[in-house]
Parts: sequence; C-alpha cells; structure tokens
Amino acid sequence: MADVKKHDTPMVDDLKKGPWPSFADDIEEKGLSGKQECLDLLGQLELSFKHKETHWKHGGIVGVFGYGGGVIGRYSDVPDMFPSIAHFHTIRVNQPASKFYNSKFLRKLCDLWDHRGSGMTNFHGSTGDMVLLGTKTEELEPVFYDLTHQMGCDLGGSGSNLRTPSCCVGKARCEYACIDTQEICYDLTQTFQDELHRPAFPYKFKFKVSGCPNDCVAAIARSCCSIIGTWRDDIRIDQDAVKAYMAGELKPNAGAHSDKDWGAFDIQKEVIDLCPSQCMKMEDGELKINNRECVRCMHCINTMPEALRPGTDTGATILCGAKAPILEGAQMSTLVIPFIKMEPPYDEFKDFVDKVWEWWMEEGKNRERLGELIQRKSLQEFLRIAELKPIPQMVKEPRSNPYVFWGEDEVEGGWKRDVKAFRARHAA
Amino acid sequence: MAVNKEELKQKILEFATKKAAHKSKMYIKDLYKADPNAKPREVKNAANELVREGKLEFFSSGSTVMYGVPGFGKTTEEAFE
Repeated sequence: MADVKKHDTPMVDDLKKGPWPSFADDIEEKGLSGKQECLDLLGQLELSFKHKETHWKHGGIVGVFGYGGGVIGRYSDVPDMFPSIAHFHTIRVNQPASKFYNSKFLRKLCDLWDHRGSGMTNFHGSTGDMVLLGTKTEELEPVFYDLTHQMGCDLGGSGSNLRTPSCCVGKARCEYACIDTQEICYDLTQTFQDELHRPAFPYKFKFKVSGCPNDCVAAIARSCCSIIGTWRDDIRIDQDAVKAYMAGELKPNAGAHSDKDWGAFDIQKEVIDLCPSQCMKMEDGELKINNRECVRCMHCINTMPEALRPGTDTGATILCGAKAPILEGAQMSTLVIPFIKMEPPYDEFKDFVDKVWEWWMEEGKNRERLGELIQRKSLQEFLRIAELKPIPQMVKEPRSNPYVFWGEDEVEGGWKRDVKAFRARHAA
Repeated sequence: MAVNKEELKQKILEFATKKAAHKSKMYIKDLYKADPNAKPREVKNAANELVREGKLEFFSSGSTVMYGVPGFGKTTEEAFE
C-alpha cells in the first residue's frame, strides 16, 4: 500500500511551511498516488536530517552496455528500512538544444518514467540534461532501449567524459543571438559522440554555448570551453529610438526593473557613465560609440534594446578553463580566441578542440580539469600547444600578470642563466 | 609528433590480439601501450575506428568502456545474460 504515509517525517514536513511550494509536497503527493519510492525517499531524508549525514552511497559499477556514462549509481545504505530505494539510480538524458519540447514528448517521457522508475524528474539538472531520478539496476537497459528506440533521444554525459553540451535559446527566441547556438550545440553533440559516451578523459569536459555576451547559460563561469557569440563590426544605432528613450516614449530595460519609481530615464547616468570602457558620449544630440573600445558588456544594449543592437559581422569568442570550486577555488574561463566565425561545419573550432584534448589527455592528472591544467602548466604552454598567438586581451592588467615570456629560442643569440647564482642574490 | 594512423591501427590490433590470449578485455589505457609515441587521443580515435571496422569490439563493464578482440572472451550479449 503506497497511499498511506508510512514514515513519520516531522523535519521534512517543516519544509512545507515556507512561502514557496516545496519539493517535499511534490514528492509526498507522488508517493501517496502510489509510488512507494517517493515515501521511502522522504523517510530516508528525515533520517539524514536526524543523523546529519547522508544515507546515499554514490557510484558503483552501473550503467548501460556500450556506454561509460549517463547513469549515476545511487544506493541507500539503509536498504532494510527503505527497501524501495535500495537502488535509486539517476539517468541523465541528453536534452534537445535550448530545451524545446512538445507536450506529447513530455507526456511520453513521464509515462515511461512512471512505468520504469520513481516518476520523479529534474527538469533540468545543472548539467542541462533531463534528469530521471531513481530506478533499479534491472530497469536501466529497458529505459535506455525505450529512450533510444521510441523517444529518439540519448543518454547524456557523466563521469570523466564530455558532458552534454548545452546552449541558450539562441536565435529561436532571442534577437541578441550572434550565433546559431542550437546548431552548434547539436553539431558538437553529434561530432563528439565517442567522447560523450566513452570516457577517456582525465576528468569531465564541458562545452557551453551562449548566443551573446549576456551569456545566459553562464558559459564563462562553468564550462571548460565557452563559446560566446559576439560581433566585430559596430553596434547598430537607431538615433530616433535613442531620442525616444530620452524623451520617455520608450521604456528602458524593456520595462524591467520598473517596480519602483526611479524617476525619468537619464541616458548619461544610466548608460553613458556606466560604460566600463567609457566609449560612449552624446554629441550634437546623437549617441556616439567608439566601437574599438567596446568590451561587450552589453549594458547599453540591454538598457535600450530598441535603439542599440549587436553588429552584423557576427561570430564567437572562445574562452577556456572555467570550473566550480571543488579542488581549488572557482575559476572563470580565460579568453583564448577573440573572434572566430563559427560557421558550419566548424572545422576551425574542432581543430582547436582536438589540439586541446590531445594536450589535456596527455598532460592532465587524474581528476584535473582543463582550467587547472592551464593554471599548473601556464597559459603560455596552453597557447603554444593550441598554436595561438598571445594577445594583449589575454592579460588582465599589464605588468601585474605578464605571463607571456620570451623563450630562449625566440630571442636572437638566446641567453644563459645560472639559477644558483641568481638565488644567491634573490631569495626564493 | 603525429603518427601514421594506419600504422597505429595495425600496432593496436597486433597489441590487442597478443594480449587478448590471456586477458580478453582491455581498458583504453592498456591500449596506449601499443605505441608509446602516439598521443592518447590518437590511440583512442584509432581504436574506435577499428571498432567501426569490426576488427575490435566494445565491451562494457557497466560503467567503463573496454575493448576486446572479436572471438576472445565473452561478448557483451553473453555478459548481459
């Protein structure tokens, strides 16, 4: 009988009292409709609150044949108390680019998961995948078969492999998109199927694609290789619309942030003075932009979307090496390619990726992300293997992080140095 | 230094066949030893091409992809049963 709550869960129930709908409500509702797993899950959560430690065991050899990723093994370490969640594996399902679905697909997926799993899902996990939460080992192959043969989808990445590439809504719904993020995401997913399903990397590797420098998928903060749309010509200006904003005829920020009366729109205070490179000014009643100095902060475009638009010679900026703070602190991506056209079949970009992976697979330590390897071996070394030229934009502040040095072979005559003699004069 | 792909494939096949006699399934890391001069990614790409040609086969432990030589040891289907 699953329609009776069998575990007493006062601490979990407390979560339901907040102002927002709680996951505890949803999971309990699902449990009372017949899913014992959901009730056992809440019971185990209560026990974890009581003991102040988790009762999930992570990992273990579990997956589908032929694939090295996509399934994350989860077992309860108190299976006698909560038998229906003794196995509670997670399945990552590769989401369609930009996460567009029709309701028929979603219904079918939910039916599949109600039948073969706990009925609980995460839409979406922070990887971007559709996450199916909780099933038994013997259900994995049938779920995989149905996903691939009936639903036309595939498992996502997990473990030390390429993680499911993800992208923003791109040109499908956003006028700022400078690149076709969905096409790039789909192409990379197809091209790198081996890397996605058969782990051979030192650790995880993530591609994330944002259509413009607003970077809605936060590629710069959390992907080993961030592809961010940009332009290399001038910001398009509609001077009439600029005047309309100044006259209050158009709402700044497209009407956002208007919950309070902030007073009349002041272009000097709200746009020009906030430009980080101070490349804007009003001259003879017209807005002027020194585009050479623009750093793509997007503030002016976001504030006056009808007046300012990204240029038309579009492409992408490539940055490498972001990661979340697990081993070392959080790290943002470093700019490596200021502009690349990013047109199908993306050969130039893929050549670059091949060089990077070759280096990382050879030099990377076990569980070392690309960003950490760049930090350990130096950006200079990374640029050398990627056959890229150092450029001023890679240096955050001139003279404070001048990581590009001349090599002995790059200077006529070279040089000799005696490290011992140097250390005698300078303490380490 | 990039190595010739066909030569590398030949080396991997010879290495895997020799090894398969006493250990039928290999990790990709084992195959790296087939040619110490080749880069790991070159070996992986060459090995996967051999799988597509049917000269090697994938085997799965469930969570890790392994390589085998057809005819040696259990096949994936047998292991699944």
